[in-house]
Amino acid sequence: MNHLVGDSVAIAYKEIKQLSRDPVSLVLTFMFPILLIGIFITIAGAFSAPSYNIPVAVADLDSSPASKVLVDKMTTSPIVRVTELLPTEEQALLRVESGDVMGAVTIPQGFGESLLATGHAYIVIQTDNSKITAPMLIQISVNRDAQDLITTFGEQFGIKSAAVNVIVRPISGRPATGDTILPGFLGMITILGAFDDIVNAITRERERGTFPRLLLSPANIFSIYSGKMVATVILTALRTTLMILIFTLMGLVVRGNILLIYFATTLIAMFTMSLGLVMSSRIRAASTLTILEIAVTFPMFQLTGIFESPELLAPGGRAIARLLPWTYGNEALRRVIYLGLGLDAIAGDLLVLLISSLVMLPIATALSKRTM
Amino acid sequence: MKFLSDALAVASNEFRQFRRNRTAILISLVVLPLFFTASLGAGRGGAGTHFSPTAEIPVAFVDNDYTIASSRLLEALVGSGDFNHLILGYREENAIAALGTGRIYAAIVVPKGFQQDLNNNQTGQIVLYTDDGEPGVSDQISSTLGSVVQDFNPGVDVQNQANRGFSQIEIIQKGAIFSGFNIGLVIVLGVVQIFATFYEIAGGMSREREEGTFARLLASPTGLGPIMFGKTLFDLVLATLRTLIVLGTAMFFYGARPNTDFGTLIAVSLLIALVTMGFGFLVSALRVGARAVVIVEFFLVLFLFAFSGLVIDKELLRGLSRTISTLLPWAYGFELLRRTVLIGRPLLALTYDLEYVILATALFYGVSYLLFARTRERLAF
Repeated sequence: MNHLVGDSVAIAYKEIKQLSRDPVSLVLTFMFPILLIGIFITIAGAFSAPSYNIPVAVADLDSSPASKVLVDKMTTSPIVRVTELLPTEEQALLRVESGDVMGAVTIPQGFGESLLATGHAYIVIQTDNSKITAPMLIQISVNRDAQDLITTFGEQFGIKSAAVNVIVRPISGRPATGDTILPGFLGMITILGAFDDIVNAITRERERGTFPRLLLSPANIFSIYSGKMVATVILTALRTTLMILIFTLMGLVVRGNILLIYFATTLIAMFTMSLGLVMSSRIRAASTLTILEIAVTFPMFQLTGIFESPELLAPGGRAIARLLPWTYGNEALRRVIYLGLGLDAIAGDLLVLLISSLVMLPIATALSKRTM
Repeated sequence: MKFLSDALAVASNEFRQFRRNRTAILISLVVLPLFFTASLGAGRGGAGTHFSPTAEIPVAFVDNDYTIASSRLLEALVGSGDFNHLILGYREENAIAALGTGRIYAAIVVPKGFQQDLNNNQTGQIVLYTDDGEPGVSDQISSTLGSVVQDFNPGVDVQNQANRGFSQIEIIQKGAIFSGFNIGLVIVLGVVQIFATFYEIAGGMSREREEGTFARLLASPTGLGPIMFGKTLFDLVLATLRTLIVLGTAMFFYGARPNTDFGTLIAVSLLIALVTMGFGFLVSALRVGARAVVIVEFFLVLFLFAFSGLVIDKELLRGLSRTISTLLPWAYGFELLRRTVLIGRPLLALTYDLEYVILATALFYGVSYLLFARTRERLAF
């Protein structure tokens, strides 16, 4: 046992020393989370922009006081920018089809009259649905303007605003800002970092020809792997620290115990490393392994709940998400960071990660022995 | 004639090498196209399938009113098909305590006086507690709930589902609505091509250099032009195969129906592949190693996600990100894919996007040719 621990520590020490002597790898290890976060800030900044100025065309076929108020509201909207007022619906639709505007709003004839007489009316919108976010934003904006109109006219003419109002109370009390995916980002950086570590640790060592020498040393393969894992755990802790610092500077409040974040990222890294060890036993070239790992990682963004909860996926996707240990890691990070929950609440998630790593590591060892 | 035969010789050499490399075949033709398409199908469902994202989410329903109106509200929620996993029996404080544990993701609380408000012709209020630790869940449940209860009528047993969400001003949406899978397919088609072709060209060149075969190739009577053209030919065949695999999987397994003809689809896909190949040659002309190629590739794909309209429309970006987005030729490639595959516009009608992609391809190829020609000895080692 002492031998195993001693050898593992020696290997971990060797890994860290090797990394410290390779400035390119060292910079990459810590620069890539910063670059990733930089890209995220850009995306989040775009999502939380105060105005979008999405070009829309409006065809007011009614020209009633109500429709005029609605058009006025649309022209002052921070989301859409009314670029044209057109006389017919066809012209407005043509503008969308030709790509000149991203949406067209048509207020039909009789709109104002119907609203006052029955309390109900309709408007027609056509959006360029090949776009990702603009159609949704246009709908939100027009809907909001319509609600504003009801509020304005409701007081004047006694129109009831809605049958039932839903009051939403999020349990964290956190403001609804663009940071909803930060814990997922931490999870993703941990995964990518651990994958890079495994490429450095095994495949590049193989390419340099030092791996057979390591295998010929008195240290057994389990010590070699656990030593490399210890090195990854240390690097993960450093990367986690860096990320928490960046998150804090961005205004994110970590509500839970910070040590639990380290614990969760460590387990995510250990599982990723175990899987990487299995993959590296079959794939020899470092660049091939890296490309395969990146290729595997990108679809995982969707399936492990980094950008969107797995609960919102299609039934098949939800089932796959529940089979992936990373999903549990990301869930644990969110619960600690956002909800401030303790170990008892995330114990199940952490256990899944731990068991998965413990299952994967002997498989990696056995496969490596076979393909040595 | 010699140019063509040399290029064909280079291409056939590439094919021979590719055939002998099982890992390359696996990554290029199996993992990338199939894995990306299958993940999309798993996450978004097939093109023709409709599912309510909230239907299977466990949500507690707490009735503090115990009236006919509150029980009809429950019936309306159950009957909507959007809340199939409502859990009854929770007390309000227990439901709130259970949020965040994963047992429930929201709690709908009907407060006392709900029926009385409705009877007095006032707006009834219900409270929705949500687990906002789960990204997107809170917004999705609240908007779905809002649309279900907006026109709730406590006076009738069966609520009108046809006019769901129709309050005072109904918003009628016209025009084609695309499924999440179809929108995702456009992204997958582009990303798979970019991912694979960049690695095949830039990674292949750097590996040749590291193995010393690039020096031999340059020492042969084959000119630089045929070498680049031969490698491009080889990769165009792979790109076509990949497009077929992605489309085949999407159409036969997930029911996708692109809105354009097959030729246009292949043409746009190959245009994206070509511009990426040009960029791949440019990167390899800078004498980067295999590891650097992988790093460049990773950031290229990330950049595309951020600035090519894959996560947020490029028209909504501002400042530096807008400039980056305007310069990236792939952003125009994705626009071509979207306009042809989804909207069904003819490729030749999209002149601006088409011209930009072709010009960028020519620029990448031209600059990389010049760089290769000027520094060929240095590049060989």
